[in-house]
Amino acid sequence: MKPDSTETPPPLNSSAPSQQWQGLDEYVGSKEFLEAVQNEFPEGASEFTDEVSRRRFVGLMGASIALATGAGCYLRPAPPRKILPYTTQPDEITPGVALYFASASPLSGYGTGVLVRSNEGRPTKIEGNPSHPSSLGGADSFALASILDLYDPDRSTGVTHRGSPSSVEEAIIAIRKQLYDEAGQPKKAVRLRILSETVTSPTLAAQLAKLLADFPEARWAQHDPAVGDGVREGTTKAFGKPLNVTYDFTKADVVLSLDADFTTSGPGSTRYSRDFAERRKIRKTGKTAADIHGGKKDEAKKDDHGHDHDHDHKEGVQADQLNRLYVVEAMPTSTGSVADHRLALPTSLVESFARTLAVELGIAGVPGAAALPDAAKAWIKPLADDLKAKAGKSVVVAGTQQPASLHALVAAINAKLGNAGKTVIYSAPVEARPAGKVIDLKTLTKEMGDRQVDALLILNVNAAYTASVDVPFAENIKNVPFTFHLGTHQDETAVRCQWHVNETHYLEAWGDIRGHDGTVSLQQPLIAPLYHGKSAIELFAGITGAAVREGYEIVRSFWKNADEARKTFPSLPKFDTFEVFWQEAVRAGVIAGTGPVSDTTPLAGTWAADAPVAVAAGELEINFRADTTIYDGRFANNGWLQELPKPVTKITWDNAVFMSEATARKLGLDPAYFRWTGGEHGRAQVDVVELTYRGKKVVAPAWVLPNHADGSITVHLGYGRERAGRVNSTPGEPNANGDPIRGFNAYAIRTSDAPWFAVGGKDAGKNDLSVAKTKKVYFLACTQGQTSMVQKDLFINHEWDRKPVRHGDLALYTKNPAFAKIPPMAAKETTEINENVPAPSHKHDGEKHESGEGHDKRLHELTMYYDNDKFEKFTPGLKPDQQRRWAMAIDLNACTGCSACVVACQSENNIPVVGKEQVTKGRAMHWINIDRYYEGAPGDAGLKTLFQPRMCVQCENAPCEIVCPVGATVHSADGLNDMTYNRCVGTRYCSNNCPYKVRRFNFLTFVDWDSSSLKLGRNPDVSVRSRGVMEKCTFCVQRIRGAEIVAEREARKIRDGEILTACQSACPSGAIVFGDLNEGHSAVARWKNEPTNYGLLAELNTRPRLTHLAIVRNPNPAMPNTPKGV
Amino acid sequence: MPQIFPKALNPIARVIVLSLPIIAASTGVGLAAFYRSSYATGVGETPPQPVAFSHAHHVGQLGIDCRYCHTSVEISGSANVPPTKTCMNCHQQIWQGADLLEPVRASYKNNTPIEWNRVYNLPHYAYFNHSIHVAKGVGCVSCHGQLDQQNLTTQHSTLLMEWCIKCHREPEKNLRPRSEITSMTYSPATLGADQKPLTWKKSDFANFGKLPDGKENPLIGQPRPTTQKELGLLLKEEYKVRDNVTLTNCSMCHR
Repeated sequence: MKPDSTETPPPLNSSAPSQQWQGLDEYVGSKEFLEAVQNEFPEGASEFTDEVSRRRFVGLMGASIALATGAGCYLRPAPPRKILPYTTQPDEITPGVALYFASASPLSGYGTGVLVRSNEGRPTKIEGNPSHPSSLGGADSFALASILDLYDPDRSTGVTHRGSPSSVEEAIIAIRKQLYDEAGQPKKAVRLRILSETVTSPTLAAQLAKLLADFPEARWAQHDPAVGDGVREGTTKAFGKPLNVTYDFTKADVVLSLDADFTTSGPGSTRYSRDFAERRKIRKTGKTAADIHGGKKDEAKKDDHGHDHDHDHKEGVQADQLNRLYVVEAMPTSTGSVADHRLALPTSLVESFARTLAVELGIAGVPGAAALPDAAKAWIKPLADDLKAKAGKSVVVAGTQQPASLHALVAAINAKLGNAGKTVIYSAPVEARPAGKVIDLKTLTKEMGDRQVDALLILNVNAAYTASVDVPFAENIKNVPFTFHLGTHQDETAVRCQWHVNETHYLEAWGDIRGHDGTVSLQQPLIAPLYHGKSAIELFAGITGAAVREGYEIVRSFWKNADEARKTFPSLPKFDTFEVFWQEAVRAGVIAGTGPVSDTTPLAGTWAADAPVAVAAGELEINFRADTTIYDGRFANNGWLQELPKPVTKITWDNAVFMSEATARKLGLDPAYFRWTGGEHGRAQVDVVELTYRGKKVVAPAWVLPNHADGSITVHLGYGRERAGRVNSTPGEPNANGDPIRGFNAYAIRTSDAPWFAVGGKDAGKNDLSVAKTKKVYFLACTQGQTSMVQKDLFINHEWDRKPVRHGDLALYTKNPAFAKIPPMAAKETTEINENVPAPSHKHDGEKHESGEGHDKRLHELTMYYDNDKFEKFTPGLKPDQQRRWAMAIDLNACTGCSACVVACQSENNIPVVGKEQVTKGRAMHWINIDRYYEGAPGDAGLKTLFQPRMCVQCENAPCEIVCPVGATVHSADGLNDMTYNRCVGTRYCSNNCPYKVRRFNFLTFVDWDSSSLKLGRNPDVSVRSRGVMEKCTFCVQRIRGAEIVAEREARKIRDGEILTACQSACPSGAIVFGDLNEGHSAVARWKNEPTNYGLLAELNTRPRLTHLAIVRNPNPAMPNTPKGV
Repeated sequence: MPQIFPKALNPIARVIVLSLPIIAASTGVGLAAFYRSSYATGVGETPPQPVAFSHAHHVGQLGIDCRYCHTSVEISGSANVPPTKTCMNCHQQIWQGADLLEPVRASYKNNTPIEWNRVYNLPHYAYFNHSIHVAKGVGCVSCHGQLDQQNLTTQHSTLLMEWCIKCHREPEKNLRPRSEITSMTYSPATLGADQKPLTWKKSDFANFGKLPDGKENPLIGQPRPTTQKELGLLLKEEYKVRDNVTLTNCSMCHR
């Protein structure tokens, strides 16, 4: 590989180009970047440059000898295999036909409803459950990747006592000995401590309540390192009692997010993402104001037969109902990136911002605010006016990491605006927190240190790793005479405890869990416990000596005892036959009548009492955030999530200290902060800094992130784990400090009194905070600009401005709805034609239009083949209802860049994980890239972030097909660009000729053939590819062919919506639609009829079947720096 | 410089040069032949089985329908090998002491599957689906041969891609009425007891002959064509078998 350049790139604030860029190297036009994009396969990608170690050499030699002797080689296409039928086949199983079961994927105690696919008894794929209120069919990347945790080869496989194998029975006898006397009576004086994360499961909560009642000295510590207490404590201040807050974004015309990433993090984010996106999808037949806010029904929508087709067509909204999002935050999030107005403000000033806003809104008794920067001050008046104008139709939402005083203030603002009860709904708390029994981790640790704890029972909380640095939990475990750990891994906490019992995965056990609004889901096992683990409820049943020990019976008996359950769920329906109620609950995955009951407690007069003095801006601020892919560290051994490019930063496998360019300069970091090795490599050389905070130090790579607030740095939790497993341990790939683990541990500098943010500085006394540059450099694997579509014309030495993401504002849309159809290269000519040729006189009544592009013939497609029929009807042998044109549309206005689709695709299509080093070489295998573009100059307030999912667009004129020498990629009759792996010889010409750069080559044997547990999780309907073949998005052809077979068998057409691709099904915001273009009223045809529909690089005449709907933002003209349209 | 080879070797050199194309061609032909040989394809092979199950006895002599055991053939990609329970349905009553059936009884008693050796061993990258073939009128016998005459099951077809494609190009050559799918002896030329051509039955059509408009298929009760050519073309139309372009798309079988 070429040595890394040390040449200093030009300064950033050179002339701002209008084009969209992905990385700073691209922005400044670094030589290495331009060289890299000329080369289809970056330097290092095509060569085998790995050092050959002796072990590897022996391995290779062994393989060659095996080949030479013919061992392991079989002449026939398939080696001889066995068939093992069932001895007694279960009734519901048909070999070869997948089944779906409802369950709920837990995260920090809250569940998202999921449907799990089971192939012959093996769970293989997670999808959202459309009937669950937290999902509505979507799923986030954590839920989607949780299936890999089930098959994690590093899971704990047995019970251990002081490290030696033992059994569950012995473990339960041991703990019962501690808690119960010989007569089986509880020892009342035992100071039992239970440590868990948030618990919402009604069954587990009831068990815990009973245990706490039996042992008066027992306490329950709840520890969630990635979730703040802001909402619970804030509502307690505001209403005198803790309440759960849910939002109805479908009714919100204006949304103000105060440091809340509500579309991608926290309970309910999947639901909120969909609700929010509903108001961002502009449709000609979308909802009107009356549809959204109630009012008279539109009578004209009935068709000739008197049927009301509203339920079919009323997706999205009319353009005038587009919502508006204001975001105030420090670290750029997905939500902030899709905002109409985003204010980069240090987190510590967010409360002052809210207080100033509250005063402007006319709220009395607001505590004093600290001085705000001018940019923030300019926001207050227009923002307050907008909120007042939309009173009752707006939402103000604050992030959980913000303090209780801000949440109380936000409650006051929502009350003042009349949003409470309309768009902001309060209901009884979802979490189980028996009064007087709950303590926090800090108190627990202090008790442990004081030897006040007799027995400690830990329920899958890795507190030894996630405790703040001033809470020496790990050290104090040894001070407890009896320690018992239930968990899925032998993690940092497990090894310090005397007993460890391996816990079941949620796909292996019965359980129940509540969603963000309190709705209860039943979790049902999809497979018998792989390692004979126990679930928490089974363990408690064993400990308390309950008569019922089976998870199934425990959960059932809780719900069977309906009178008891009705104390928590007053609207639980009365049932005559329990079995009917139960079967329906298991089938649907949701228990009816457990949804939220609106609580209309008025705002307490004392909501502003004890509000802390507003924090003034300091020299520097530090933020702690849960990682966007590996969360609080629990997913550190999940390869899919580790390799998933983080939604905004596009970094994989690592965390970093994020800061803005100005902050980097201030901190004395090299202004030329990257010495690029070329963006295409994904190998970014960055400075290593020493971050000192309150006397503790970590060594970390620094990353300059456009749009980060100045005077603030952000670190992500979850990395730097010592005992996570093989994915996390990295011999040969040390972290910035030289340790063989991934990333740095941000918990090592986090303190319990300021867990989320703190203002500090070099001379701030207790809050000393400094970032010092070291001489070391570090390589981060960052996929920004990898497989870039940037193309430089070699003949005229000009880089084409492709404008991959087309966007505009509402004003532009109103003036010219089809603005996105203008190819940027022909923008001038198109504008001239539009001005000089009169617009067509004839108009349409909206949805009746079927010809595709509208009658405005002034805008011709750039194609020689005007006759579209050529492409539709080249299979004359087919009956009309068998002629299908599969197509996809992605509404960029709804996409938040959350990357759930990438994980869904990886799970569905058996895409391997390649590892950090391979990512840096440009060999990542993801079929979907979520491109994150910037438009504008870095450091500008108006810098736009634009997301664009990019996968194979299934060109009708596919450039890849004509160059394949072996015909491995060819077109199918229904318009798919087929990829036949077993025919591919790996010339890579196709990728070379692909203008979208969406083909991925298996350079090495990335697939793990050895770990037997991973084999269970693969999708049997998709080939597992090995080395040397090209692969790419197939539009989930296995699902298409599967649905086709069923439809053909039943002699009917394929219904619209019958086939959901993996990405479409997962997408929380519902931004992806797939279907048959020949079906006039299919959703995909309707989307493609929208004027904002455009084809990516369509000017190349590739005729992409996947098209995008342009972004239409809705800026407030009264706001400062209102960005202009295209 | 002295010559390395004596002049006397020239004829030999000429022979070698001239025979090179012949060697190359015969190598090619040889490889192609080998690729198609029964040695490489396994056609005609009869793998040993843990239980000497005889289709000839069960199908040929007893007349059990294929779908009694292979229950999922109409609804799934895989035509399942029956669970032990299916064997035991009968063999708890008859031949319940036979030595031959000891592995079956052991499997049932110990709840351990019988390990059959796969006869039709398709490579993993080819996704064959039984249900669609059965629904479109491809009989069992077309691929599996006359099982009613096989004692131990023998691989009847080469399973080479060219063998698959041949039928995907001209499906009409192998189509038969749905009610005759499992028949081992069906021929379009077979006449009924009254020496007249057999007539179309309701069970020959999807939804028992009910057309989308609610009417009955007019063919029902009419005589069937008696040549495969006529019958195949008619069935191709009736069963909406797609055209050869579509049927030979790569992604039909490879995903």
